[in-house]
Amino acid sequence: MSDLVIDADVGVVGAGPGGMAAATRLAAAGLSVAVLDEAPRAGGQIYRQPPVGASASVGIPEPPSHDQGHALIHEFERARLLSVHGATVWDARPGRLWFEHEGRSRLLRCERIVLSPGAYDRCIPFPGWTLPGVVTAGALQVMVRGFGVVPGQRALVAGSGPLLLPTVTALLGAGVEVVAALEASSRWRALRAAPGVIGNAARRREAVWYMKQLWRHGARLQWGWTVFACEGDGRVQRAIIGKVDADGRPRRGTARTIEVDVVGAGFGLVPSIELGLRLGARSRYRPERGGYCLVVDEEQRTAEPTVFAAGEICGVGGAEVAAAEGAVCASAILGELDGRAAAPEVLRAARAERRAADTMLRAFAPLPGLNELARPDTLVCRCEDVTRKQAQQAAEVHGDSMRAIKMGCRAGMGPCQARICGPSLQAMATGQNARVMDRPVVQVPLKAVRADTIRNAPEAC
Amino acid sequence: MSGRLTDADGRERVEFTFEGDAVSAYAGDTIAMALWAAQAAALRRSSSAGEPRGVLCNMGVCYECLVTVDGHNVRSCMTVVRAGMVVERGGRQ
Repeated sequence: MSDLVIDADVGVVGAGPGGMAAATRLAAAGLSVAVLDEAPRAGGQIYRQPPVGASASVGIPEPPSHDQGHALIHEFERARLLSVHGATVWDARPGRLWFEHEGRSRLLRCERIVLSPGAYDRCIPFPGWTLPGVVTAGALQVMVRGFGVVPGQRALVAGSGPLLLPTVTALLGAGVEVVAALEASSRWRALRAAPGVIGNAARRREAVWYMKQLWRHGARLQWGWTVFACEGDGRVQRAIIGKVDADGRPRRGTARTIEVDVVGAGFGLVPSIELGLRLGARSRYRPERGGYCLVVDEEQRTAEPTVFAAGEICGVGGAEVAAAEGAVCASAILGELDGRAAAPEVLRAARAERRAADTMLRAFAPLPGLNELARPDTLVCRCEDVTRKQAQQAAEVHGDSMRAIKMGCRAGMGPCQARICGPSLQAMATGQNARVMDRPVVQVPLKAVRADTIRNAPEAC
Repeated sequence: MSGRLTDADGRERVEFTFEGDAVSAYAGDTIAMALWAAQAAALRRSSSAGEPRGVLCNMGVCYECLVTVDGHNVRSCMTVVRAGMVVERGGRQ
């Protein structure tokens, strides 16, 4: 057998906190484990490690929660398992994961699968969001913490949710002037997050740490503000910011212009569920968890009994939730093999983390009025260059289902496969800001890979 | 203007070209990060309007940072630089 095909007891997708926690425990119990991860090193986006050979840290202060990350990485990298990095999974069936790795088409065969592919930033289209220099909040963190690159001199951070804080502190630590840090939720709405923070010791410590960082740099969050537009010649040079009402609708007469050379916009996260849907898992729409999330039983098992899921794929919740649910996946799989249930204390710990995260994130569920930032000529689909007006016309002519809109104007049919425009496309096209979106349709390849990868797939799917 | 944190340079230098211009990166950099540090923000031209586009997600999701390496479209945020790599702007030329 060539090395193009790997056999393992368990295949894990994603080497973030969820995948690492599951894989380390399964390997310690003597199972053969193969992990597929798209990044060059373990850690996931949240605990992203700098490239091999770089100083261990880029010198940016880290929040206390990163101690958990270092511990998970330490154990994972010493575990007896196979971790394949730079692996893009593009198709799957129960027991099979097809992936592209270093330009080659490979296959992982396994009895069980644990999915922990994470989440990505939710984008909300606004005029000028396609200008180079306007990136997601997550992109800025990768830049600074992952690569030691200073994103610019004068930054705007805008969006919603707890991830604005690590973005702002990373920029401040890198010596960037944060001209404005805008949280679209009002202070009052954000107060609803308090029970999830106060009731959880780790989250409490984390919040205090961030407050201290902001205070030290004389920075502050502006509540109820957001970015209205970005402008510039070939790249961003100015941003127009202003106040929004309780639903996120821009308030007239509040706009002002600031000079910036980089903008990070992040309106929460969207769970990466495509692989789960392809494998037969069911999903449910939960706005407070970022949209469609996989449905799992209390042992993190999906509707396909050989497939388990941990972390953001079951709904955005953060690294602590992911690690706790990863541990549940491992306990459940080991339990199945021994003919017993998962350990109750492991289930309890995961439930408690999930509860705290749900309480906190409910206060930052996407504000429907932010969909009014886009004007008729604003691009909604960046892959296919489709404007909001074109998407509206498609909905009028072809119908307001996601499928009809896509067919009518090609929005969502480019290489990102609607990951970027999808979460707001239907609202943009129909003007129904609060509507429940249609469930995403998965297409193979799940990510754009070379034609040769598909042509040469082992055990063609 | 962007650049590097001083602590990041414990790594070897790697030279490559982008649109014919020499770019000096650090080993382990992705193409996208090396180009960002070198002030090259526009990485591709958009599909119909031909507008400049650059890094958006920086984690392999959005495909906005597509460039061409040896005739293949690659996500510059997911592709690590190699010495002598010839990188061209992606999308419409």
